[in-house]
Amino acid sequence: MPTTIAAENLDKSFSGARLFSGLSFSASRGLVAVAGKNGSGKTTLLKILAGLARPSSGLVRVQTEGAPALSAAERRLAVGWSGPDLELYAELTALENLRFFRKAAGSHTDAGDLARRLAEVGLPPEVVGRSVAAYSTGMKQRLRIAFATLFDPPVLLLDEPMVGLDSEGREMVSRAIAAARQRGPVLVASNDERDFIEPEQRIELGGIRRPEA
Amino acid sequence: MNGLTRAWAVCAKDAIQELRRKVAMVAVFFFAATALTLVSFAIGPFGLPAADRPALEAALLWIILFFAAATGLPRAFVAEEEAGTGLALRKTVPAPVVLAGKTLFNFVLFLAMAAVTIPGFLVLLDWKVGSPLAIAVTMLAGGYGLAVVSTFLSALVSRAGQRNVLFVLIAFPLILPLLLTAISATIEAAAGGFPLTALRVLVAYDGAATCGAYMLAGVAWED
Repeated sequence: MPTTIAAENLDKSFSGARLFSGLSFSASRGLVAVAGKNGSGKTTLLKILAGLARPSSGLVRVQTEGAPALSAAERRLAVGWSGPDLELYAELTALENLRFFRKAAGSHTDAGDLARRLAEVGLPPEVVGRSVAAYSTGMKQRLRIAFATLFDPPVLLLDEPMVGLDSEGREMVSRAIAAARQRGPVLVASNDERDFIEPEQRIELGGIRRPEA
Repeated sequence: MNGLTRAWAVCAKDAIQELRRKVAMVAVFFFAATALTLVSFAIGPFGLPAADRPALEAALLWIILFFAAATGLPRAFVAEEEAGTGLALRKTVPAPVVLAGKTLFNFVLFLAMAAVTIPGFLVLLDWKVGSPLAIAVTMLAGGYGLAVVSTFLSALVSRAGQRNVLFVLIAFPLILPLLLTAISATIEAAAGGFPLTALRVLVAYDGAATCGAYMLAGVAWED
């Protein structure tokens, strides 16, 4: 059953300045490119869609076909998110971080599954036992991707997912996006057009338009 | 997995972090040790008139416990925001569960601090305790109230500017009734009685603070 994420007439203002207004879209599967200049509100939009910020007005709806729209609490795990603001616990190891979030969210904490997920994002066993404080920028970014996909969310929101990654890391994220877009909607916000590989839809902040066929 | 198990996960995470970085623990214990030493040197076991001792000792003990706790307990949510981990926590764990876990950690931190401070107080000020059981119950009830209110206020101010000033301003009227009742119970317990009335007030305060904190947890931290 496909899951749809939809925004209806979203407005966001900061201190009287309007960041975006009347923003509406709906996506059930595939890649949605979120583009715009610095400060155009890409990060804010993704945080609103993830439930981490409130819009000034408008609605966000996440709904699986044939079921009622998810409540805010249900959206918590159904929408995966990562962004430059996301920090994980520096005193814990990567494995401890994932185990904690799984346990605190009331989900299973199979160590083998968590180790496999970390290996998939390019964090091998010899690295996952080290405190996150000792990680490089790229390693932290890989851990953010593992966090975003930790609960196998039907909707994935990735804000600047390639930042700090080497070519191998960029390939890993591209593979993760390719797999996730087959299952449901993936929204990628970026300033780099190379991050949008054949998007099904494009949100240009300041105006939404479909990509030309 | 029930809410208690999830709250325990938050508490265990906080404990592991604290054991590895030792920020709150060192601040709390260092303040308690410094205050205790200063009080013992300034007043000493024989510096107080016998008639005034029970009230002054109880007040001094709670002043030390409160201010030592105030150096560590408010960090519960503030530390998450300062480290930038608040977003990940808000994304995956409901606010009441986080509040429960952090309250539990703060309560344990308070009890550990009391377990170190009270023996020091007994020795350095020659404090006479008539009913150790009543003192223990007063510490449990007073410490829990302090933990739940401090944790909730930490959530409330964690994303505000000037959060330290804000915490003190809001905490003062909320915690004052708790401290006055705890001091009253401690005086009676030290004299050998069982402060049933004061303990009932403390338990009622704890219940009301717990209900209020859990009902408002989402508003305080997520909005």
